[in-house]
This record gives sequence, C-alpha cells and structure tokens, in this order.
Amino acid sequence: MDAEDTRRNPDGKGFLTAENGSVFIPHAPDPLHGVCVSSTSGSVTGSVTSTVCGEDEQNSLESQDSGIPTLELSSPEVTTEPRSIEPLVQKHRDAPATLKLEAVDEGGASSQVRGGASVYRDSVSVCSTSSLSTDFSATLSLGNDDVTGDFVVTSDSSAVVDFHDFSDFSHFPQATPTNTAHGDHPQQHHNEAVARKESPIVNFFNRKLFRKDSPRQIQRVLKENEKAGGSASPKQSVRKHLEFEPLSTTALILEHRPANLPAKPAEEAQKHKQQYEEMVAQAKKREMKEAQKRRRQLEERVRLEESIGNAAHTWSQEILPNWNSMRSSKRVRDLWWQGIPPSVRGRVWSLAIGNELNITHELYDICLARAKEKWSASPPSISATENDAGDAGLSHADREASLELIKLDISRTFPSLCIFQQGGPYHDVLHSILGAYTCYRPDVGYVQGMSFIAAVLILNMNTADAFIAFANLLNKPCQMAFYRVDHSLMLTYFAAFEVFFEENLPKLFAHFKSNSLTPDIYLIDWIFTLYSKSLPLDVACRVWDVFCRDGEEFLFRTALGILRFYGDVLTHMDFIHMAQFLTRLPEQISTHTQSHTLFSCIGSINMSCRNRTWTQVLQALQKDPEHSSPVLKH
Amino acid sequence: MAYAYLFKYIIIGDTGVGKSCLLLQFTDKRFQPVHDLTIGVEFGARMITIDGKQIKLQIWDTAGQESFRSITRSYYRGAAGALLVYDITRRDTFNHLTTWLEDARQHSNSNMVIMLIGNKSDLESRREVKKEEGEAFAREHGLIFMETSAKTASNVEEAFINTAKEIYEKIQEGVFDINNEANGIKIGPQHAATNSTLSGGQGGQQAGGGCC
Repeated sequence: MDAEDTRRNPDGKGFLTAENGSVFIPHAPDPLHGVCVSSTSGSVTGSVTSTVCGEDEQNSLESQDSGIPTLELSSPEVTTEPRSIEPLVQKHRDAPATLKLEAVDEGGASSQVRGGASVYRDSVSVCSTSSLSTDFSATLSLGNDDVTGDFVVTSDSSAVVDFHDFSDFSHFPQATPTNTAHGDHPQQHHNEAVARKESPIVNFFNRKLFRKDSPRQIQRVLKENEKAGGSASPKQSVRKHLEFEPLSTTALILEHRPANLPAKPAEEAQKHKQQYEEMVAQAKKREMKEAQKRRRQLEERVRLEESIGNAAHTWSQEILPNWNSMRSSKRVRDLWWQGIPPSVRGRVWSLAIGNELNITHELYDICLARAKEKWSASPPSISATENDAGDAGLSHADREASLELIKLDISRTFPSLCIFQQGGPYHDVLHSILGAYTCYRPDVGYVQGMSFIAAVLILNMNTADAFIAFANLLNKPCQMAFYRVDHSLMLTYFAAFEVFFEENLPKLFAHFKSNSLTPDIYLIDWIFTLYSKSLPLDVACRVWDVFCRDGEEFLFRTALGILRFYGDVLTHMDFIHMAQFLTRLPEQISTHTQSHTLFSCIGSINMSCRNRTWTQVLQALQKDPEHSSPVLKH
Repeated sequence: MAYAYLFKYIIIGDTGVGKSCLLLQFTDKRFQPVHDLTIGVEFGARMITIDGKQIKLQIWDTAGQESFRSITRSYYRGAAGALLVYDITRRDTFNHLTTWLEDARQHSNSNMVIMLIGNKSDLESRREVKKEEGEAFAREHGLIFMETSAKTASNVEEAFINTAKEIYEKIQEGVFDINNEANGIKIGPQHAATNSTLSGGQGGQQAGGGCC
C-alpha cells in the first residue's frame, strides 16, 4: 500500500495513518491526529516541490472534472494545467505580445490542450478551461474593465467564457501550432516541459503563482483529502500560512459584444457594467464567507493537531517516565480525560491495565505454540468421544469448535477495515492471540466479542504486549463476569446500571420502563466489545482511554452518556425503534464536535447515587440479589 | 403503526449460519457477504400483509454461540414465532438442532410456531445436509421447513411470511389467546379500538416511519 492508497482508504474511518508517505497502522484510530495534519502537509509538500522543481513528476496539480485542481501524490501522469495557464492570463493585457507567446509556449507548455481542431478555438479553450476551473479568471475579466460588453453567466458559481471578439487574441496564432502539437503528443509535450524547466520565465510564473495561490491550494487539497478520508503527517511551519483573499469572482466575465454586431449604446453598456460589478461584489462576498468558514475549520484542526502534538510530548517525556508517581495526579487525570495521543496510547494502556497475571512474552510463545499444535493436530471433524475437560465445563469437542469459531469470527471483526480478514495484515496476529488465549484460559475459551477487544489492542501495541493486555483486561471482574456469562453477576451489573440510570436520567428511565426496554438488550454488546463495535473506532478508543483510568464504572457511565446524548431521539421512539437504534447506533459521532458533545454527556453523568459509589451500589446488590433487574430471570 | 397484529419472532441457530443475513435480506432486501458478528441480540421490523390484514413483525436476532445460550433463553419469552436456522454446508449446525429445539420448547410458549430453515441453498456444491434430511427432521418434530438463501433471497420472504400465516391461522382457530401478550402477539391500536381510530392509526404510521 502506498501513501495514496492509504489516503483513499474507502472505509472512511480515517483510520490508517500515513506518516512520511509510509503506512503506519499500529497507532491507528484518531482522526484528530490523522486527517488534518497529514492532508495539510501532503498538500504543502506537494506544492513546494512542484514550485521548486517546476515540473516534478511526483507532485503535480491536476485539473479534474470538477475543475478543482487537486494534488495527486505519486501520480505518473503530469498535468500542471491551472498553474501554467495563469501566467498566460495574467500577462494578457499589459505584457508585450512576444511575452505572451512565451507564456503559452513555456508556462503553458504542460497545459492540456487536447487536440483541438480549430487553431483559434484552441487558444480560447485554454482560457475557458482556466476560467472555469481556477480562480484566475478574475484576472482575466477584471483585466478587461476598459471594455464594455456582454457577459454570460451560466450558474451562480461559474460562467462560460466565450470570446466572440477575437481581436484580443490576434497575437495567438503563432503559438497555437505548438499547442496543437503538444496536445497530440502529450508524452513528448511533457518531456519538453521537463526539459524547459530551467526557463526563468517558468520559474518566475510558478513562484508567483505558488505564493499567491498556496492557501487555496491547501484548502482545496485538504478538502479532497477529507473526502478520501486520508491522512499523512504534519509539517507545522507551512500550516501557519492561513491568510486568504478572494482571488476571483468565481469566474464571472464581462465580455465585448462580438465585432460583427453593432456596438451597444453607452447607456446600456454602463448599465451592464454596473450589473456586472454588483454580481462580482456579491460573488466576492460569498467567496469570502466560505473562505472564512474554511479557514476557521482549518484553524480548528491546526489547533487540535497542535494540542495533540503537545500532549504526545507531555505524555512521552514527562508522564510515562514517572508513571507511578504521576498517574494519579490531577493534571495527568485531566489530560487523560481529553484522550491519549495515538502515539503513546498503547504504552499508556499497557501500564494502566497492568500485568497482575505476570504473563511474560515467553508464556505467550508457549501458549501460541500449543494453540498451533492443536490447529495442525486435530482436523475440525468431530471426535467428541475423548473427554478430559470435565472440570472446565467445556468438552474437548467444544474447544475444538472454538478454534474453528475463531477462524469464522476473525473475518467478521471490523470487516470494514479489511485488515483482519483472510489475507489482511493482521489476520494471523488476531488468530494467534485468540488461539493462545484459549490455551491460556481453557476454562474461559473463546467467546464472541473477544476478537474485537484483541483487535483494538493489536492496533495499538505489538503482539505479545497485546496478548498480555488482553489476558489481564479479561481478568477484570466485570469482563470475567461477562465473558464467562455468569448470569447472576451480569444481572447484578445491569441492576446497578439501572440505579444510576434512574438517578441521572429519570424521564428516559421511565420511558424505557414503560416500553419494557431492559438494559441487557443494548448493554451486552457494549460491554462485551467495550464499545469498539458500536461506536466509531476513534471514539471507542477514547472510551478505552478513560476505562483504563477509571475501570468498569466508566463503561456504565459511557452507556448513560450515550443515552443522554441521544435522549431526545429516544424519548420519541417505541420499543422496537429504540432497540434497533441502540443495538446499531448511528455512525454519526465521527466529527470532533460530536465526539466532544458525547464526552460532555458522559462527563455530566454523576456516578454517585445517594452518596454511594458505583462499587458500593454493586456490592450492595450482590449481597441482596433480590433487587436485581427482573430481566433475564426465569 | 397501523397494524392489526404485532408478532414477535426470534431467530435462533448456531453461529455463522446466516441468521443476521436472513433478517437483513427480509427487512432491507440486501445481502452483506461479511456481516458483523452479533453479540447479544439485534432487531429488525417489517410490515407484512396476510389476509388483507397488516401485520407487524418484530424480529429478535440472537447470538449463536453456545456460551450465549443462557442469555438467548430469556428472549424466547413472548415470541409467537421462531426461525430455527442451520447451514446446509455445515453438518454440525444441523446436528445441533435438537438442543436448539429443546431450548426453544422449554423456554417459549407452547404454541410458538417454529420454522426450520436450511440456509445457504445457493452453495449447492458445498452442501453437507440433504434437503430430505431437513424435511425429515421437521416432520418428526412438527416444524415447518424451508431451504433459503439469504444471498439470492430465495425463499427468504416466504419463510418469514409462511410463519406469520401459521400464527395467523392459529389465532383464527382460537389457539392463541391474543389478549395475553406472553403469547407474543399484540393487537394493533387500529384493531383494538375497532373502527373509531382509523385516522389515529394513520397518524401513528407516520410516526413509526421507515421499516414498518
């Protein structure tokens, strides 16, 4: 996979992070980090390179159907159309004819004039293309303000340039043969362009153009990259350059009346000019607004990136080296709540989860070796006669079945990411961890849902560490209760959840009650997979962050936060709609603002009920199981 | 929500036999080759028409792994119909039918209609369970039987609708006490209040939206 593939990863989760052009998966899910940083730098690097090198093959601007020049990384086909056209347009009015020819010939060397039949039309079409697809049309149209004429507007955002009056282009014919030839032989044309890259004129134009256009380029490419859900790595120096001035009238052009028609009366011409100017002013205003909006978004992202960058530094330089003394400090806890930067996430999780079980890398290797022995030794056929696992409550056949089941389930784990499926980069790793665990804890074995937990860990740390974290995580009381499907204990957890549900969201609680919507219906999935299946992965990782800090209580707090977040929608639903909604949450919590709101909802949940903590409530219920939720009782 | 009756269904069977895919095909008319794992329970709903009456199906799609049986058991309560699914390309899923059936009979209403489904009928070349075997099992245990393919949608519609027809007939025969919701049948608002609430029922339908 190269950087571009990564950028265009269709799953749209902004999950694969490319750094310096190479794919970097392990610290996956954080769009705050991913999308913005990278795209900006991607575009900037690209632009810089193309400016310096003139015709760099790897980084070129390309005009697409939409007319928006975009940056294509590693694109073998080079077209530097908009860039090369602007000089032509800009110099149009006041430069001597010879320079114009040069411009067409040199600057326009790589412009795409694809085999136009008419010589004249060809020259014109260069201009048309530019005015439709770039900002430079403004220069063209405003350059004509000493002339009066008709203007043609086809839509609110772009206009057609149609030169009825060719007199302005009387100097072009000389240039066009070259253009046509280039159009016919794009390859040759490109080579020539490369050969001419030393031309001072080209360099001059390129520089000028780059300087003028760079913020727009950044934004455009940023937009493109957002669509592709891609990412690369930061380069902060260039991102500061955020100023914007509207460059065009969105391609509104005031034209002469064709020479073969009688000229307009002065009054009418004046009126048209006035109308034209009004439209231009409006368009400028609108563009300015949009640009400001984009700039705000960009600034927000830059700010986020910087805060993440700073946080990463604080974590790795200050907190991690002094883990034991600092982990409980208020400052660290606050920083922790804000989400752990992906680059240190795995290490923080490992430290926070701990290794009570004292599992070593060697033990993992032993368990894995045993699992592999089993896979190769026993074919998946049924040999249920042998039975030596009575004490564990699982028959030999069941254990074999669970090895088969792991295979089946791995392909059903985050299928949209396409990295755990057969042939995917993490298929074997996931298989190994789950297999090793069935050998490490045959009494628990493989239970559906585990594959999601292992997968999230694999995405954040190396295999052996992921196994250690996995085994220790599952060994926590709440996880053990669920993964061993200890029914009465699960009921106790649900009952405790309901206590806090009623306390925090009494109205919604009553609504759920009246619809007989019991917590098991949605909590089972949430708790088993620690939200990794139900929330977008980056949001889920933030939940994991705080779960590592606060323990099981946070899982239930998150559940209440989700219910509060969607409270307004839920109150208007009946049983089946709520059940469907909660077991398949909308995928919309993807933007930063939304996840921020969700976390404020979670933060607003009060986890003390009549002066009792979560643990106290849970313990009280365990002593008195009669108060358990009536759900799941027979 | 302008339905005459609401039937609760439960889909059961080993993991990976295609329960969720059957549901998706029935409710959304599409097939997802790699479906997410179901953990706990998921839901679907769709309106069908039987004998000119609107019937809303509320479908509970359960997790198939053995470990989850104790959870699944609590979801039988109040189900009027069950789809018991096996995979015709995996004999073990057929062999486990007996235990599934025991579970279902033990934890559900005795009148619950059970439809036995041999899924993945499109994978003829990998077939391990003959159609006759499925038919024999169904006959022996008093179930309705069908082979389906969630992938090609073959018989999917029929499986859900035939089950509803059977339930509907039982209601007509008076076997089901429709006033007892433990039977998995709810009378719709329209039906309950006879002719006076036609407009109210339509308003409700608007609010219900989407799938039903």
